[in-house]
Amino acid sequence: MTAHSPGQPARTLAVIASVAALMLAACGQRPSEIRAEETGKPLVIGVSLPLTGDFAQPGSEARRGYEIWRDMVNAKGGVLRRPVELKIVDDASNQDTVVADYTKLITQDRVDLLLGTFSSLLNYPASAVAEKNRMVFVEPAGGAPDMFTRGFKYLFFAQPATAPRQADVFVNWIKSLPEGERPGTAAYPSQDDPFALPVIKSMREQLEALGVRTVYSEVYPADTTNFQSVAGTLASRKPDLVAQGAVFEDGVGMVRSLKQLGFSPKMLFQTSAPSNSSQYSDGVGVDSTEGVFYTVSWNEKAGTPLNAEFVAAYRKAHDAPPAEDAADAFAAAQVLQAAVEAVGSVDQDKIKDWLHANTVQTLLGPLSWKDNGEPEGSFLLAQWQGGKVEVVGPPELATTKTVVNPKPGWK
Amino acid sequence: MAHFAQAVVLGLLIGGVYALMASGLTLIFGVMRIINVAQGAFLVLVAMVTWWLWNRTGIDPIVAAVVTTPMMFGFGWVTYRLLISRIRGAPASMSVLLTFGLALVIEGVLNLTAGNKFKSAAPPYFEESFRVGSVSLPKAQAFGFLAAAGVLAVLYWVLNRTWTGRAIRAATQNPPGAALVGVSAAGTAALAFAIGSATAGVGGSILSVLYPFFPASHYEWISRLLGIVVLGGLGSLAGAVAGAVVLGLAETLTATYGSLGWSTLVFYLVIMAVLLVRPQGLFGARLREDAA
Repeated sequence: MTAHSPGQPARTLAVIASVAALMLAACGQRPSEIRAEETGKPLVIGVSLPLTGDFAQPGSEARRGYEIWRDMVNAKGGVLRRPVELKIVDDASNQDTVVADYTKLITQDRVDLLLGTFSSLLNYPASAVAEKNRMVFVEPAGGAPDMFTRGFKYLFFAQPATAPRQADVFVNWIKSLPEGERPGTAAYPSQDDPFALPVIKSMREQLEALGVRTVYSEVYPADTTNFQSVAGTLASRKPDLVAQGAVFEDGVGMVRSLKQLGFSPKMLFQTSAPSNSSQYSDGVGVDSTEGVFYTVSWNEKAGTPLNAEFVAAYRKAHDAPPAEDAADAFAAAQVLQAAVEAVGSVDQDKIKDWLHANTVQTLLGPLSWKDNGEPEGSFLLAQWQGGKVEVVGPPELATTKTVVNPKPGWK
Repeated sequence: MAHFAQAVVLGLLIGGVYALMASGLTLIFGVMRIINVAQGAFLVLVAMVTWWLWNRTGIDPIVAAVVTTPMMFGFGWVTYRLLISRIRGAPASMSVLLTFGLALVIEGVLNLTAGNKFKSAAPPYFEESFRVGSVSLPKAQAFGFLAAAGVLAVLYWVLNRTWTGRAIRAATQNPPGAALVGVSAAGTAALAFAIGSATAGVGGSILSVLYPFFPASHYEWISRLLGIVVLGGLGSLAGAVAGAVVLGLAETLTATYGSLGWSTLVFYLVIMAVLLVRPQGLFGARLREDAA
């Protein structure tokens, strides 16, 4: 190497080469920019999600659902021939932050469209911001009854039913049983959660009307961690049916405590905890999931539009079975897309009017809305069978005719 | 009567576990006047490591404390040297800010590495119970209680029967006096912080078996632990045990005879009542400067 000139010229060369490389790279980018000009600037959709804090888990799933939708739509040329860009910010599961986030997305970032956040707690104030600014707000979660008593016109809940109506499909299944096989007594512990408690309350009223005697009913706060004392009480009162308004930890905690105290009810229903696939089966032990009922908005095997593509894309991107929360977010985006494409613009009032007048086909099935944004469909009744989830009701959407009843003892 | 015995037994078992979790917090406060808001995050960090070990190698989660305790001792030592030592002498509120920041960092790192999912280590025995007459003793709680009792006994012995412990207590009670007789304030503080962090080794292991957890679970735990320590008297180990047993019993007895909805609230009502009568907590020492 000493035979050559010192390092300096070589270094200069390297610098020139790098600069050239950069310029060439820049040249390479230009055509795509031009294409972007032709097809219009990106269509920006603003979202605030709970990516940290209490709702971080569903919030992160919702983000995955939105992003899979964006990638699938962009691969097909975007919406209104404009590429879709998601502007997702984190509200840390905080009501004040979610309000600030949506206000900023609307007034400063001037996004073209909005999509909703996760949980009723956050969608309640967020939808008010959207309503005030006359922006359509399609929310993937937030089925608490209070959401729809405010007379909002721009709010649309992209799930098949609100919380109180979720119980219907389970009650209908009980009604379909011969008298002798129906539960005689029932216990209703529920978390004080806007998505769990209304389901259990409505189920209790409907089952009492059928003659099922209530032997236990309690509401507990979200930070309850010890369920042994409740399990002890249930073990002494021996209800045929335990119907729990369980978000997640509390559902796992209840099953574990019932196992520890050696009481297995003939029927076990939990609102959303069992929908958390492997997280639930890992938590309670896969053998103990047998026969557990829950209601759900979406099923992996359903033959609804884009469902198979969504499942495949999710598995490819995240190497895991898709979560219901991700599917709900995907459906919310489908709803917005359908309306925007139908009216051919991002005119919020036209989108709103179109959604009030039409039914949208989504991977959750067909969705349509009442004037207050409340959906008009029905949930699915799912059951854990042999370590997997099957849809057992309503009969026309069931994936199997087998229903495990009574539930076998804990293993 | 059997129902009552069952509730009391469950309350005591869970109280023992709470006591262990709170012991590190009270120790660190006692020696350094540092309110370690990150103690809950330490517990969740250990629970995550324990879950990972259990999932990968099948090591029993409670046995895994043999690995996580030295790990947390080292982690506590380094944390003290790098961060906490810089705010020595600053008001206690500074320690809240610093350790809260640390808790957020731990939560964020766990979110990125382990993901936002609930986890729980479920060894085969967690669903079984010992039976004494008509009373069930869930095995997971019973083993957790025994481990907690063992660690608390060792901690008590170290603090009261060894020179290291005497140095720590001396530095707690009279820092200038301790310095005069040759106790290094910085060294003792680092050691106390390391020991306090190490208690999260067993505490977090037990947490991973008893409760589903995810990165943000630490908020729930730190509020409960602070409640225990305030009730018992900041800085007192015996106070932490007493506070924890009161919490355990308050939770289970209220849930059994009152309502589940009141079970967490009753504990805080007890704290208010105790603080009205004894502002320093059940076992808190009243300092001369407090009288002013």
